[in-house]
Amino acid sequence: MTNLAIPAGARNATSGTARPARTLPATPDIWFFVFFEAFLFTAYFTVYMVRRTQDVGLFLQSQAQLSLATGVVNTLILLVSSWSMARCVQAAREGSMQAALRNAFLTIGFALAFLIVKVSEWTVEIEKGFSFTTNGFFAFYYFLTAIHFIHLLIGFIFLGVVVHQLRQPVRSQPLIETGATYWHMVDFLWIMIFALLYLMR
Amino acid sequence: MTTAPVDMLQDPPVRPSGIGLLSRWRSHPKFELWLAWWTMIVFYNFFFVIFFGVARIQPPPDPAWDVPRVVEWFSSHHNGLLIGFSITFVVAGLTVAANALIAYSMWRMSVSRAFAYTYILIYSLSAVPGMLLTCIALVVGAMRPDRDPEVIHWLYDFAFMAFDGTMGVFLIGSLIWMVAILLDKNRVFPKWFGYLNLCNALTEVVVAPAWLFNGDSTFAWHGTITWWVDMVVFMTYTGAFITLLKRMIEREDFGNGPMPDGSSTAP
Repeated sequence: MTNLAIPAGARNATSGTARPARTLPATPDIWFFVFFEAFLFTAYFTVYMVRRTQDVGLFLQSQAQLSLATGVVNTLILLVSSWSMARCVQAAREGSMQAALRNAFLTIGFALAFLIVKVSEWTVEIEKGFSFTTNGFFAFYYFLTAIHFIHLLIGFIFLGVVVHQLRQPVRSQPLIETGATYWHMVDFLWIMIFALLYLMR
Repeated sequence: MTTAPVDMLQDPPVRPSGIGLLSRWRSHPKFELWLAWWTMIVFYNFFFVIFFGVARIQPPPDPAWDVPRVVEWFSSHHNGLLIGFSITFVVAGLTVAANALIAYSMWRMSVSRAFAYTYILIYSLSAVPGMLLTCIALVVGAMRPDRDPEVIHWLYDFAFMAFDGTMGVFLIGSLIWMVAILLDKNRVFPKWFGYLNLCNALTEVVVAPAWLFNGDSTFAWHGTITWWVDMVVFMTYTGAFITLLKRMIEREDFGNGPMPDGSSTAP
C-alpha cells in the first residue's frame, strides 16, 4: 500500500519514462469511487454501532460464536495480497513485466484463498445454526461480510484487467494502478469489518 | 443606430409570437435532445412530489404493522393515493424520454449498439413492476376501504415488494451503463460516473435482505440500510446523471469521434 505513495518525481526516475507529474497513483476517477465507498461503509458501520449499543449483551454473546482465528487468517491473507499487489505495481513501474505478472497472479491466489476461507467460515456458522435472520448481530455479520465478498468478486475483474494490461506490448500504467487501488480498498474495508465484527468488545 | 434601417429591411417588424418561438426552437439542432432532457426533469419532479408529498408512500411505512394498523394507513392516505397515482398514470410514459436519452448517450459512445438496446429493454420492463404495479396495488387498496382487511394487508405487502422486486433489474441496468462508460473512448461521460454506477448497483444488492426481514428496522424494506442509505446514493446518482446528460447535450457535436471537452461549446 505504501508503495503507491511514491512521489511522482521519484517514480518517473525509477520507471525511466517521461510521464506528467501526478500526486496520486492511478486515475482520480477510481479515487472518487474509493471515497464514495468509504462514505457508504462508514454509514453501514455507524448503523452497526448504533444497533450494537441498543443490545450490547446479545452482540457480545453472538460475537463469541465467531472464530477469531479464521478472521485473523483472512485478515493476514488480504494484507499479504495487498503487499503482492503493491509489488506488482512497483515491478510494472520498473518495467519488470515477469515479476509484475507473478505478483498479480500471487494476488489472485490470495484472493482465492480468502474466498475459500470465507465460504468455509459461513458454512460452519450456518451448520452451528446461525443464519442471516438469527439475531441483530448475525444479520450484520452476514450483511457486512457478504457485501465485502461481492467487492472481492468484483476485484477479480479488476485483477483480470491488470493481468491483461501487463500482457500488452503497450501497457497502461494508470489502469494497472487503478486495479491496485481497488484491491487495496477491498483490503482496507475488510480490516474495518474485521475490527468491528470480530474484535470490538 | 445607423444600422436600424438595414435591419428593418432584412427582417419584417414581426413580434415574436408563440408559434415563431416554437419554430425557432424546432430548428435548433439539439431541440430533440433538450426536449428529452426536460421531459426527464418534469418526470422526476412529478415522481418525487407524488411519492414523497402527495401519496406519501416514501419513506415507506413499517412492514411489521398488523392488519388494523395497515387498514388505518390506507384510510389516512386515501386521498393522497388516489390523486397522486392518478397523476402518475398520466405521466408514467414520460420515463420513455429519460430511458431514450440515456440510451442515446451509449449510442454516442465507441461501444456496441447492444448496450443502448439492452438498457432500453431492461428499463422499459422494470417500470411496469417497479412503479405501475406498486401504484395499482395501492390504489386498489385505497379504492374500497370496506374491503376485507386481510386483502388490504395483502395489497400492502404486494405493493412494497413489487417496488423492491425491481432492484435486480435496475442493478443490471446500472452495470450495463457502467461497462459502456468504462469501455467508451469518446469521453461521453467521465469515468468516475462509470464507477458511481457500480456504487449504485451495489446498493441495489443491499435491498435483497428486505425479502428476509419484515420487522427489522435495519434490513426490512423501510430499513436504515436498505432504504435511507440507499436513498442518499440514489439521489446522488440521479443528480449526477441529470447534470452529466445536460453537459453531454451541451458538448454534443453530432460526430462519431471523441466529444469536445465542453469548455468552448456551451450554448
